[in-house]
Amino acid sequence: MAEERITDIGPPNYEQFLPPVIKKNYGKWDHHEILKPGVMVHVAESGDKLFTVRCGTPRLLAITSIRKFADIADKYCDGHLRWTSRNNVEFLLTDESKIEALIAEVEEYGFPIGGMGNCISNIVHTQGWVHCHSAASDASGTVKAVMDELMPHFQNMELPAKLRVAYACCLNMCGAVHCSDIAILGVHTRAPVIEHDDLPKMCEIPTLVASCPTGAIRPATVDGVQSVEIVDEQCMFCGNCYTVCPAVKINNAQTDGISIWVGGKVSNARVAPKFSKLAIPFIPNNPPRWPEVVDAVVKIINVYAENARKHERMGEWIDRIGWPKFFELTDIEFTKYHIDDFKHAGETYMRTAQLRH
Amino acid sequence: MTEMKYKTPLLDELEKGPWPSFVKEMKKEAHRPMVQDAIGQLERSYEEHISHWKHGGLVGVMGYGGGVIGRYSDLPEEFPEVAAFHTHRVNQPSAWFYTSEALRTLCDIWERHGSGLTNMHGSTGDIVFLGSTTEEIEPLFADLTKHGFDLGGSGSNMRTPSCCVGPARCEWACYDTLDACYNITQEFQDELHRPFFPYKYKFKFAGCPNDCVASIARSDCSVMGTWKDEIQVNQAAVLDYAKTVDIDAEICDLCPTRCVEWDGKTLEIDNSNCVKCMHCINVMPKALKPGKERGATILIGGKAPIIGGALLCSVFVPFLEMDKDSDYEDLKELTEAIWDLWGEHGKLRERVGEFIQRVGMSNFLEEIGLDPVPEMVMAPRSNPYIFFDDEIFE
Amino acid sequence: MADVTIDQVADAMFELVSSMKGKRDLKPMDVSKQMMEKFGDDVDKKMCKKALRQLIDSGRLTYKYAGGSYVTLPEA
Repeated sequence: MAEERITDIGPPNYEQFLPPVIKKNYGKWDHHEILKPGVMVHVAESGDKLFTVRCGTPRLLAITSIRKFADIADKYCDGHLRWTSRNNVEFLLTDESKIEALIAEVEEYGFPIGGMGNCISNIVHTQGWVHCHSAASDASGTVKAVMDELMPHFQNMELPAKLRVAYACCLNMCGAVHCSDIAILGVHTRAPVIEHDDLPKMCEIPTLVASCPTGAIRPATVDGVQSVEIVDEQCMFCGNCYTVCPAVKINNAQTDGISIWVGGKVSNARVAPKFSKLAIPFIPNNPPRWPEVVDAVVKIINVYAENARKHERMGEWIDRIGWPKFFELTDIEFTKYHIDDFKHAGETYMRTAQLRH
Repeated sequence: MTEMKYKTPLLDELEKGPWPSFVKEMKKEAHRPMVQDAIGQLERSYEEHISHWKHGGLVGVMGYGGGVIGRYSDLPEEFPEVAAFHTHRVNQPSAWFYTSEALRTLCDIWERHGSGLTNMHGSTGDIVFLGSTTEEIEPLFADLTKHGFDLGGSGSNMRTPSCCVGPARCEWACYDTLDACYNITQEFQDELHRPFFPYKYKFKFAGCPNDCVASIARSDCSVMGTWKDEIQVNQAAVLDYAKTVDIDAEICDLCPTRCVEWDGKTLEIDNSNCVKCMHCINVMPKALKPGKERGATILIGGKAPIIGGALLCSVFVPFLEMDKDSDYEDLKELTEAIWDLWGEHGKLRERVGEFIQRVGMSNFLEEIGLDPVPEMVMAPRSNPYIFFDDEIFE
Repeated sequence: MADVTIDQVADAMFELVSSMKGKRDLKPMDVSKQMMEKFGDDVDKKMCKKALRQLIDSGRLTYKYAGGSYVTLPEA
């Protein structure tokens, strides 16, 4: 060993990456203003101004593109930029006169400016078929197809309020999509198929049995092999067993698909944070562009945009008009799958006669 | 343009349209054989409607139990270059600030050891390097640490903490999210790299109740900025807003506790009733600001559905001072107490939020030494099935 | 009371993990709990963590992930 092994150093200290205007005005910002879609200014108590230009990315980025962003940052921003929690890039400038040229160069490279104010920002999403084992659908492709249609909403600020769309390719929800205005969620709909020959080599049976939240998995001897069996009727297709044991195959090309959920939020503004609720239980996978998913999302957004009041997020609007009206306006069928039957299901039953007729 | 090894008519469809294309991104790195095979395998998934990745195994860097996620092709004969194609999580700098130089350093490192494909960033916040062979795991790690970067979390450990832009560029930041995130990450390096928990534990630092990092939904410990005193009001600026904002309809009527009044000249706020929802401040950022006595609310137990159902965090400490000079000792003490209890008694893959529900919030509080306060609940219980003990007679 | 050394704890941990190979995967906390039981008051969680780190750093044991994190013998 020529060099000593370095470990446990943690991330680099952020301070070295902050632009001088931020170091100077750290914690002393007075206000901000969105100047136009994708461009905002923060004004410090000192009077100093910091301009931010935001562009959308597909999250999956080639180092070729990252180097291009670095070059653009050098040219216009003294080398300073950051990413947002929704996979957007923010170029940070102090020279207002450079903004238009910066925008032109970013757009020329193929990345749109926007994602600010009452708009649809980038869709946070997961790996999908690009790099995940338990994906019930692809993430990047669905997101690309949906965003191609939603581009105008990324580039303007004409919605009643912010609208956050998120995508997760299975119930593990690496993207924790469960509190989004619109959540697109990959779902498995059939019990796993067990590879009995591999199972004893790959997995520990008691752990596998314990992994099932509904107790559907039982130890069993199959063709002389110590394995497990699954009670199909008890399976709710969560895939937890597959995470614990790769020999219990949850992925199914014929029966995996996508569900759509609406009305969640995380901010505390006006009303408390909310979970998203089921709108469409199942749409079959239809790559490469998932037209049924795109249509459903666009339809819901259009109905919301036409009917919600200013500042009303999706969930606030639905709470005001009621779920029956939501299903009527969006032309979505209400089915038995919409009624909760997991833990605490009764909390969602309507226990009042306060109905709109 | 590199010549493509496989025909990909389905993926090619996703190069069309105005939104930036991940397929184009992949093709930008297609001069590497492993990226060609990754594209080929992905096209196969598009044809067959199923993933061709496998998980599991014993991959990682020496000494760490997290940061590298083993990924293997289930078609290794057909796509040998991605037979092993592991994910690396690299701990991002606080609030995702970079210089062009730092980005180039990262790109150069990844060019030397892997596919050149990334996620900027992964859902938890890490820089994600997508796809390397098993042989490159150690050399990549050595290259990263040599340049001041370290791996992030995976498995049953503390996951990479993340934070909002905070005081670096936001007037609403009620504490220094960047410093707190960095401090906690450094303090708990052992817990980040060496799994010792029943399952993952996530920290997210949000500077105000707008919660731009979704901490209440996506972390086990949400540190959410808030304030105790009065909202700062600039009445002249309010009058200015009154020209474009219908203050009665857009502010007063939408205030959750109706604590704002407007007579056409002056904005009156009953601050004792303000629940710090941020709505009025969001609508009139030049006129209103959070108060001056700032700190954070500590909320615990948020998570996605797997396994016992999704949970939002709930209040543990209504107000905690987040003074930088305190070294966040109170937060660290609370964290260690939670980890001790959940670490010892939690079941495999049981998040702390589920554990609290299983053992009961009151028991949990008693064990970690926190007194119950009414801010912790939406309402007291309505059922009379109380587990009385002798304390009632004291 | 005889002082227990980190080496002793590490050796006992290694023995435990070896004896369970192919029977049951152990989490780091499972291993530590058994050590605290075995050695009583002489061993606490901190010592267990140190012993575990020694075993992992030296390559005698390794981490594995299967839905949760375990410690196990390295693959031959």
